[in-house]
Amino acid sequence: MSTTAVPREGTRRTGDWARRAPLLPALIFTIVVTQLPFLVTIWYSLRSWNLLRPGSGQFSGLDNYVAVLTDTQFLGAAGNTILITASCVLVSMLLGIGLALLLDRKFFGRGLARTLLITPFLIVPVATALLWKTTMFDPVFGLVGFALSPFGLGDVDWVSSYPVASVVTALVWQWTPFMMLLVLAGLQSQGRDVVEAGQVDGAGPRQMFLFVTLPHLRRYIELGVLLGSIYVVGTFDTIYMMTQGGPGTASANLPFTIYQRAFLGFDIGQSAAMGVIVVIGTMIVATLALRLIFRTFMATEEKLS
Amino acid sequence: MSVRHDESGPAVAPATGAAARPPAGASDRPAAAPRRRRPRRWLADVCALLVAVVVAFPLYWMVLSALRPRAELEAGDATPFTLSPSLDSFERVVLVDGFGRYLVNSLLVAGAVVVLSTLCAFLAAVALTRYRFRTRSTLLVMVLVAQMVPIEALTIPLFFLLRNIGGAVPALGLNHLGSLIIVHMAFSIPFAIWMLRGFVAAVPQSVEEAAKLDGASSFTFVRRILFPLVAPGVAACSIFSFITTWNDFLFAKTFIISAQENQTLPIAILTFFKPDENDWGGIMAGSVLMTIPVLIFFVIVQRHLISGLGGAVKG
Repeated sequence: MSTTAVPREGTRRTGDWARRAPLLPALIFTIVVTQLPFLVTIWYSLRSWNLLRPGSGQFSGLDNYVAVLTDTQFLGAAGNTILITASCVLVSMLLGIGLALLLDRKFFGRGLARTLLITPFLIVPVATALLWKTTMFDPVFGLVGFALSPFGLGDVDWVSSYPVASVVTALVWQWTPFMMLLVLAGLQSQGRDVVEAGQVDGAGPRQMFLFVTLPHLRRYIELGVLLGSIYVVGTFDTIYMMTQGGPGTASANLPFTIYQRAFLGFDIGQSAAMGVIVVIGTMIVATLALRLIFRTFMATEEKLS
Repeated sequence: MSVRHDESGPAVAPATGAAARPPAGASDRPAAAPRRRRPRRWLADVCALLVAVVVAFPLYWMVLSALRPRAELEAGDATPFTLSPSLDSFERVVLVDGFGRYLVNSLLVAGAVVVLSTLCAFLAAVALTRYRFRTRSTLLVMVLVAQMVPIEALTIPLFFLLRNIGGAVPALGLNHLGSLIIVHMAFSIPFAIWMLRGFVAAVPQSVEEAAKLDGASSFTFVRRILFPLVAPGVAACSIFSFITTWNDFLFAKTFIISAQENQTLPIAILTFFKPDENDWGGIMAGSVLMTIPVLIFFVIVQRHLISGLGGAVKG
């Protein structure tokens, strides 16, 4: 804390506000559009309110929560969300690290390879989902079936037999470039002096990677996992386009279930309760993740000072 | 930029190696290392290109399906090329299905969100990092918390909120593009603040003092000096808000219910996707067209993107 100038007592209040002013547009906006609606969600979640039942909307305490938490469809969706998010983030991060390491060297065609590898991230997810559902996984016309037909897997209907795996495949394809970009940023920010010092000390390529590069990449990997999780947890379009949560509810995740409950089932109370549970769950996971990140921040800052 | 030590040719490597090491170790290792490494490096390069091709193959297939004549698509042709490429699918999408209208809608929403949210976030980042006031750290934590609330939990109250706003200002209510702009701004801002904070903090205090000595007001300093200095960060966070807004499906589906003419592209693609007659050529042509603006935007800002991501981590 460097308090360079102690403000005079009289102007202190106005000074405070003048310095806060640039913050206000963003702040008011975020509060009105994200924080207040969340409070409203809590309010909705405590009422028994179905748009199809006129006159409903009376206070019902925690009934919705009990209903939701004993609802196998909700629990299944929660399980799917965790499964999809964890596997997608993990696999795409591993692939991303591998690809970034391959790309972090000069070779013929590097620019082309990099551009090709980034493009899946730039495709609209709706289009990605359609691309995988139709031209890749379709049992009759799909390329995956065509490529696997020598192994006797030619006419498997991937999307309906393995809905979660199909969704994860499309998501991994879409998210690997993002992880790759982050790790690449980390690799390129690595000081050459550190690399040289390692080489002078006689470290082999594997040792260099494990003891020099990987610790340096740690923050980038953590940031990638955090951001990736935040976005993948909220996946809606891929599920909607590829499987509609089906067959049955086999591949429905939480956003899809909440959407269904609210805008197709019109049960505002229950879907609000689901929303609140999701927020609490996300908060717990994210707090743990953030604490981890902050610890590394603190550790490096202490080292620097 | 990324000229690494080990990329210097074999002719130079022994010399530098010998200079850095005591003579005893210099006898065998520097000479042996490049010779042993070469085939592996070559192998890794081929691997990289191969993986790139595999990853990009679905993209190629997308473009190919868009260019294939209808008869070939319906016959389920799996040849990896077409001898008679046609623009029929593109024509059908653009002329018959009014693609242009949706394209303009999507561009309007994404453009407005990028400009407005980046501006708000930049100002907020300046206030949060360069000015000291009470409740500063509380506000910082609030920004992080706002980032964590999943959007699906908020769609229902936002639906009612936008309905009420629409009663007062129709252009910002349901079925209008304004509703999408409002919502996406709110979801882009916290992330953008978070990213820009590191960049603003990285500009040394001495630069500000020098500017003040030269007679610059706070406002001039922020506009003429600070903003250009954090441009890579602005580029990085603008591509994120552009992509999330451009890709959005959930909000567009929920808030634009009955006004077909105000629909954005991801929903428009749904209209090509009819369960009974899948117009794959049309779908893929639409997907290709939908990707082009993102590609253009990406090419414009990509030079800053990698350093931008790096800066966000350093903050």
